[in-house]
Amino acid sequence: MWAKVYSGFGYWDVYVWLIFFGITSALVLWLRSLGRDDYKEGTEQDEIFYGSNEVPEDGDDMGVPASSAYWGFVKALKPYYDSLIEIHSGIASDYVGYFVLTVAVLAVLVLL
Amino acid sequence: MNWQIHLPALVLAIPLLGAFASPVAGLGGRNVRNGWMIFISITTTAMCLLLLQKVLADGTAVYVMGAENWNLTLPSGLSWPIRIILQVDAFSAFMAVVGSIAALAGAFFSLSFMDKFTGLEKFSALYFLLVTGMLGMQLTGDLFNFFVFLEIASVASFGLIAFWRDRPEAVEASFKYMIVSTLSAMFILIAVGFLYGRYNAVNIAAVARMLHMGYAEKIALVFLVVSLTMKCGTVPMHMWTPDAYAEAPAGVTCLLVGVSQASLYGLFRVCFSLYGASLGSSVIPWTIIVMGVLSMFIGVTMAVIQKEIKRLMAYHSVSQIGYILLALGVGLLALRDPQAMADYGFTAMKGGIFHIINYTMYKGLLFLTAGAVYYAAGSRNLNELGGLASVMPHTTFMFFIAAAAIAGIPPFNGFVSKLLIYQSTFAVYPLLAVVALVTSVLTLASFVKVFQTAFLGPAKKKFANVKEVPGSMLIGMSVLTIVIIALTLFPTWTLSHLVEPAAKALVDQAGYISAVMGGGL
Repeated sequence: MWAKVYSGFGYWDVYVWLIFFGITSALVLWLRSLGRDDYKEGTEQDEIFYGSNEVPEDGDDMGVPASSAYWGFVKALKPYYDSLIEIHSGIASDYVGYFVLTVAVLAVLVLL
Repeated sequence: MNWQIHLPALVLAIPLLGAFASPVAGLGGRNVRNGWMIFISITTTAMCLLLLQKVLADGTAVYVMGAENWNLTLPSGLSWPIRIILQVDAFSAFMAVVGSIAALAGAFFSLSFMDKFTGLEKFSALYFLLVTGMLGMQLTGDLFNFFVFLEIASVASFGLIAFWRDRPEAVEASFKYMIVSTLSAMFILIAVGFLYGRYNAVNIAAVARMLHMGYAEKIALVFLVVSLTMKCGTVPMHMWTPDAYAEAPAGVTCLLVGVSQASLYGLFRVCFSLYGASLGSSVIPWTIIVMGVLSMFIGVTMAVIQKEIKRLMAYHSVSQIGYILLALGVGLLALRDPQAMADYGFTAMKGGIFHIINYTMYKGLLFLTAGAVYYAAGSRNLNELGGLASVMPHTTFMFFIAAAAIAGIPPFNGFVSKLLIYQSTFAVYPLLAVVALVTSVLTLASFVKVFQTAFLGPAKKKFANVKEVPGSMLIGMSVLTIVIIALTLFPTWTLSHLVEPAAKALVDQAGYISAVMGGGL
């Protein structure tokens, strides 16, 4: 129950990881405790730094929307994504077409 | 007489009773209906666990419906396997337990999630029919009954996906799934017809004993492999998955994850137990591996660009199925070479089967958390969501556990199964492991996106009145969270007591055949 998981190429020991995680967490908490203790809640020290601009009252007015996340990644792979989205047409006859095509290709490969 | 010999039949009879008695329970009002749903779900899970315990202790369980023996002996002395047989080995029992846990969590979650809707006695009837179909596919020892249970599951899922019939998207999703599902079911039926025409039998063990590869067997194999890979949402036949998973009520989506695993079970039962060493060339193993790699990469790259939380998770389902196909495809590739099986094949099998339970648990949990967000905030659009962690702390915690597990972050259970898959597939062809690793990184990226946009960030005024979901929904999510944490903390026990027996049962074609046939035929 407590033994390691051997993969044939190495091993995994969850308890060593947990011990490591515990020690690291204790270290982080200790470092944090060395910080300044003159912080005052509810004063200007508490305010969000928003690029020297006034912080909007509603969270809707700030932040990056999900559709903009990984913009660079999607832009770099635009040709790949264009073709991929084209395949995902949402048309049921296309779904049937891909199924029949797969049957045909695999039948040729298996029967040959 | 020991009642436990009837466990295989009870595992099917209880949810079937649950389905047909649901309208009656519905007459007693909300509390009776809810109590019935939970009673049946807990009893089914308990029966599956008992069945697993019995199979692990006593070996493969063979249950003949309505008779003592599997065969019908004619006056001429000829005996033939014509009866309905349930054959439960360690792999079948393992899959039944996995599916029943997903069904239990989905049932708890659905109590409050569906409370404001009407027609709930129909909902619970369809829900338990789906459970019956799923478990039947996993326990049957008969090809034709596999088709029957597949159809029971399919028809029930059409109704459940379109349950919110006032949403055109739900009806459209169900209709599309119905078209491709019916087509694949017809191909499965034709394949069963080919084998029945050749061998006068539909019992898997009996056909496997007599099977010799010819044109009819090859055509049947192609039809079965493509149909079952389609049913579990494999590229390039995965397009129904995001539609269906996104539109079904969240508790149903959790169960559909388990049902997709029943199709995966069918695929591997066909490849390992029905055809096994008769597969001959490596075309089928490599086809499964290539489909797995494509599913992993295309699924995850499509997930990265989604902005609707359940569609994003549905594309991840495609990706995760890819891992399982990759691993079990490698196991199938090594099936005829004992040295390869010892070197990497069996490790891949263990990784794949471990990933089945991991995937079902964390993916089911992710769909439930998405349902909880929709229930509380009224939106599934990530562009509109945000700042929910402070008002939904329990849901946020459970989402975090599931997201970390699916991304394969140590020490979570997803890491262990992925580690086994990476290392074993690397031995076959390093590029396979590279694609699997890249997929894992992109999985992490897309769940970071979900966590950041839905749960973190400043509070939004429109969600000022949002609060944590009701207790029964939290219980549903907690069931899966507890299983994930248990799998994380005790991977060695899981591998030695659940995964390895299942993997051994799957590769042991002779054992599967002899459990039913003995010296017959």
